[in-house]
Amino acid sequence: MLTKKDLPGTPLKSGDLEKVLTLKFKPNLKYDWDNGVAIARYLEELKNGKIIGKKCNKCNRIMIPPRMFCELCFRPTDDWVYVKDTGKVNTFSISYVHWDASRIKEGEPPYLPAVIEIDGASKGMGILHLLGEVIPDEIKIGMKVKAVWKPDNERTGAITDIKYFKPY
Amino acid sequence: MALKERIEHNFDLTSWKGEIPIHYLYTYGVAGEKFFKEIKDNARLMGTKCPECDIIYLPARMYCERCFAKLEEWLEVSTKGYIYSYTVSYACPDGSLHKEPHVIAFVKIEGIEGGIVNILKDVNPKDVKIGMPVKIEFEKERKGGIFDIKLIPA
Repeated sequence: MLTKKDLPGTPLKSGDLEKVLTLKFKPNLKYDWDNGVAIARYLEELKNGKIIGKKCNKCNRIMIPPRMFCELCFRPTDDWVYVKDTGKVNTFSISYVHWDASRIKEGEPPYLPAVIEIDGASKGMGILHLLGEVIPDEIKIGMKVKAVWKPDNERTGAITDIKYFKPY
Repeated sequence: MALKERIEHNFDLTSWKGEIPIHYLYTYGVAGEKFFKEIKDNARLMGTKCPECDIIYLPARMYCERCFAKLEEWLEVSTKGYIYSYTVSYACPDGSLHKEPHVIAFVKIEGIEGGIVNILKDVNPKDVKIGMPVKIEFEKERKGGIFDIKLIPA
């Protein structure tokens, strides 16, 4: 096993960066990602408060999020299928850091990202979202959860039109 | 096999807009720190010399890139240079247009390996020529960065 002795260099301590010259830069990284046919419809349906998937008539899988091409059968997918807004926790995490890895503040609730297997879609088909209205220690894999939607007039056609999933 | 559904009108296209908020804090390294500190505190350009290869590197480097020797001999280099190469830039990195075109020049100094890339000021882009002499000057207020250096036609 590597020990500290084997690793050359000196680890940075807080304040070290203030002792040296530095160059600060913030690149302007804007993107405009083409939704394509499937995700465009998926987002439009989220605005209506519905979750839509797509079915492949060869393998009979109902896929969510919808896609135009079945990666197993190597053929275009067929029917649009509405699925439920309920599901089961496939996996989850309790995160005490923000997306940029900065620690959450004292008293700030942890983020609860989870993959939700959506009812009505094929087994293993799910979406990454957040859990809410739940005590972190009580989250279990397989737990039944339901989408909590934003009110109609606040939905914009985004995955955040679902605020989070809560146990039911 | 063709797709069964397709977008046929470009006004039906939708996209997801977003921004990747990245900021970085670059440190110049051991030789770079000393190089920029000399510019900031003493308004002079420093190079490092490899005695084996008889090469003076600018900006100063820690190691000779030919023989890998550690370079410990620091010396001040001349501020009289010449244009080795240049480009005229009309746009910012984000694609927006400059008010005035910028001349970005790679300035070399006789007998020195490397050089300085910076904006060449006080010049009409049409008058710039390769080989043209350039003065390397320093700003009055210096922060310890590349823009402490001013390139001006000599």
